[in-house]
Amino acid sequence: MEASSLLNEGLTLMLFGMGFVFIFLTLLVFVTSLMSRVVTLYEKSVGVLPKGGVPSPTAVIPHHAPANTLPTGAKNHDENTLAILSAAIRAYRDRHK
Amino acid sequence: MDNLLHLWHNTGLYQMTPGQGIMIIIGMLLLYLAINKNFEPLLLVPIGFGGVLANIPGAGLAEYGGILHIFYTVGIESGAFPLIIFMGVGAMTDFGPLLANPKTLFLGAAAQFGIFATLMGAVLLSTFGVFDFSLADAAAIGIIGGADGPTSIYVASKLAPDLLGAIAVASYSYMALVPLIQPPIMRALTTQNERKIKMVQQRHVSQREKIVFPLLLLLLVAFLLPDAAPLLGMFCFGNLMKECAVVDRLSNTTQNSLINTVTIFLGLAVGSKLSADKFLDFTTLGILLLGMVAFSIGTASGVMMAKLLNKVGGGGINPLIGSAGVSAVPMAARVSNKLGLEADPHNFLLMHAMGPNVAGVIGSAVAAGIMINYVTN
Repeated sequence: MEASSLLNEGLTLMLFGMGFVFIFLTLLVFVTSLMSRVVTLYEKSVGVLPKGGVPSPTAVIPHHAPANTLPTGAKNHDENTLAILSAAIRAYRDRHK
Repeated sequence: MDNLLHLWHNTGLYQMTPGQGIMIIIGMLLLYLAINKNFEPLLLVPIGFGGVLANIPGAGLAEYGGILHIFYTVGIESGAFPLIIFMGVGAMTDFGPLLANPKTLFLGAAAQFGIFATLMGAVLLSTFGVFDFSLADAAAIGIIGGADGPTSIYVASKLAPDLLGAIAVASYSYMALVPLIQPPIMRALTTQNERKIKMVQQRHVSQREKIVFPLLLLLLVAFLLPDAAPLLGMFCFGNLMKECAVVDRLSNTTQNSLINTVTIFLGLAVGSKLSADKFLDFTTLGILLLGMVAFSIGTASGVMMAKLLNKVGGGGINPLIGSAGVSAVPMAARVSNKLGLEADPHNFLLMHAMGPNVAGVIGSAVAAGIMINYVTN
């Protein structure tokens, strides 16, 4: 009697456990894919994080300045170009490590 | 004369039991394997030495009040050391390859079948009266198949403290034996053409994704399986410290000095469980054997899952990376890479295999949470 109940418990734990591992990781696959998509979309409009983690004052990524409105001052224009160029270089280096 | 006799009675030679003698030899053997054969030396050196210390007759280092016993009570009985190690492992883990190809999480899930199949094996052996394992013992033995040292120790300390010595030794030895155990299984289950499958270059994963992922995982654990929260919580915390890049000092400490310090004491404390009356037992042999089975089944089911994903998902996955679903970071991934290169010298699988590899860490922590949840209530 006792032996068969141990067997039952073992079987239940195996099915329950394996099922749960799969459910959990399947959920994680979905949530992760969704997150990646959202972050990628978000970064398209905002730009990627600088390497250091916090945006430091020397490498400002322009949050406002939509692409269709030309920046007014030449200085501002330069800053934008600089930010875009350095982001491109960073992305390139990241990809070709 | 009386004094001389007294002195003689106090020597180790007089007090030594045969069991202690054998255990000291086993401790030395572990040291030999670690130093000469380079078997997981970071752990087997402290474990082996702790095993020798624990068996010094009359010194009582592993008994109540002895220093090794104190290490054990403070670090392992409380669950603290494995969790701190897990934090360090989190800080060393790069989720990039996993995020680039989230499907590899399925491989990490499949490889956990080894854990549960072995649990069933241990239960069956008890039913037929070969061994006398309770459900808790069986669960703790099965987790060896997760090939994750800290997880095994954590589960064993919660469910089967008496078997902890054997389980820890088994899981660390098998991690060292990954390059020997896995390749024959992988070769048997794949064809030459499957091994030659080239995988496409992984996409770039942005830092923001890497920061969000541990938080996402933490929330999922918090909602679905709070029993896995100690392990995965520390893991996610370590990983967040690394990825957010604003606490480099903390992240460096966690990855280096902290994990090293804790490893020393963890090893010694595990060694204290290598006492003759607990270790020199028929069940130890059973644990070593079942651990090996767990590991092999995990490897096989990972490979089979990769083949299934290929059938269902339209191909592009080399089945060799499936075996990396048993954790054993990064050894299992290196084995996948090596076999891939063997089939085709231009086939580099290392980065692709890191995905299932870290998925395996998550998978075995989830499995551990389920076992603890199920057995303790």
